[in-house]
Amino acid sequence: MKNRIRVLRAEREMTQEQLAELVGVTRNTIISIEKDKYCPSLKLGFRIARLFGVGIDDVFTYEEDKDGPSVDSDD
Amino acid sequence: MIGWSIAAGNFLVPAVAIPLGVIVVLACRKNVEAVIADERQRKISSQAALRTLEVAVIVGAIAAVVLLSFMVSDTLTPKITGSVFTDGNGTNAMVINLYKPGGPETPENLIRTVTIPDINAMDEAEAMTYCQFRREALLENERNGIAGAVIGTGIFALLITFGAFYLYYNRKY
Repeated sequence: MKNRIRVLRAEREMTQEQLAELVGVTRNTIISIEKDKYCPSLKLGFRIARLFGVGIDDVFTYEEDKDGPSVDSDD
Repeated sequence: MIGWSIAAGNFLVPAVAIPLGVIVVLACRKNVEAVIADERQRKISSQAALRTLEVAVIVGAIAAVVLLSFMVSDTLTPKITGSVFTDGNGTNAMVINLYKPGGPETPENLIRTVTIPDINAMDEAEAMTYCQFRREALLENERNGIAGAVIGTGIFALLITFGAFYLYYNRKY
């Protein structure tokens, strides 16, 4: 799962701390999402998209692996 | 501290400390609600707890088998009893009985009896028998100690395991 949060945030001159506070998570969560290390819940995804005033497709992009659909492994 | 107080028969300390602890935890929780409510933190905690549970189940099953084998072998150990008699001169004599394992302490199950005429003046053989009796008499305390050590070590190991998994998933996500 790729995302454009860093770009959208930069366009609005918003810090990670400010975004985290506005969507109700910690700054570490925003950092992890931006680095594609953590896949947010649908609820948080929609909250971020709504905050930037764009659709969820404009923030998150789902990319399938070569071998098939990508799975977010918990291990 | 609470465990020590209960062991010492002082129930006032836990009666005060436990409600006080609950109040402190609730007060602290109010201040860290934002962090607790964070979905990433929750995911990390749940993943760490799940992995810890998996490890605990496997290690617990192995430990249970080992402890069960001790219990089974315990019934094969001969039972030793002892009684002290004081005569008119103030001399303490002791009778030590050795019974067959698993059965009641009846004369039919008696393997042998050792009498120590004066426990303050034992010879070598009597001293060895007395030592064996003492060891047997203190076995219950020894068992309680082992049980306490196993539970304490188990809880400590679980905390360490959870901490390790938490750090691992914190780095991962």
